[in-house]
Amino acid sequence: MGLHVQYYGMLAEVTGQAEENWLEDGRLTVGDFRRLVTDKYPELLGKKFKIAVNRRISEDSSPIDPQSEIALLPPFAGG
Amino acid sequence: MEKEHKPRKVFVEGPISPDFIAKSIASHQSKTNIGAHAIFLGQIRADEKEGGVVSGIEYTAYEEMANDVFHEIREAAFARFELTCLHIYHSLGLVPTGEISLFVFVSSPHRRAAFEASEFIVEEIKNNAPIFGKELVGEGGDFRWKENR
Repeated sequence: MGLHVQYYGMLAEVTGQAEENWLEDGRLTVGDFRRLVTDKYPELLGKKFKIAVNRRISEDSSPIDPQSEIALLPPFAGG
Repeated sequence: MEKEHKPRKVFVEGPISPDFIAKSIASHQSKTNIGAHAIFLGQIRADEKEGGVVSGIEYTAYEEMANDVFHEIREAAFARFELTCLHIYHSLGLVPTGEISLFVFVSSPHRRAAFEASEFIVEEIKNNAPIFGKELVGEGGDFRWKENR
């Protein structure tokens, strides 16, 4: 399955890119994805972030549908 | 069932000008069922940080999700409070210290709903809108990422 992954704010600096396409065999939960992305970018381990799936903040136990849009969101600073 | 309110454009490039705010107020003079407006303005503070004073904040956002969140906040505010109308504007890009980055404008027949709704909306934005801020510090190009408390 293909996932479109976006990195926001300081996380784009950590990963060196704002977005990438991610090929995955089989289905993942948000928790699985969190482990994979921190394996790929170990610098993320020290950072606080939430994961949105198709524009919704999602718990680690949630499944990710194929073709989903995933976003890694650092702490919010609006206002 | 409450009627659905159309999604509105929230993000503006750069600071929100006092002139824009004044014109927004003026444009409500014809809505004569309004008895109370509450306005919240977020202004960039010159915080002292290690390495210098904050000279501005550069905002970015996950715009598609933020627009969904703003729409949900609007719907929740209309459901919860007796409101005539409600406008939210937030900056993207650079907003220098002393300028306005958030403008929440709530109108109601009565003051209590206007006060309470404006606080509710600002808190919801701070907690749930995926907006990110880079505080520019000092003269040397340093920065740090802001985090709402």
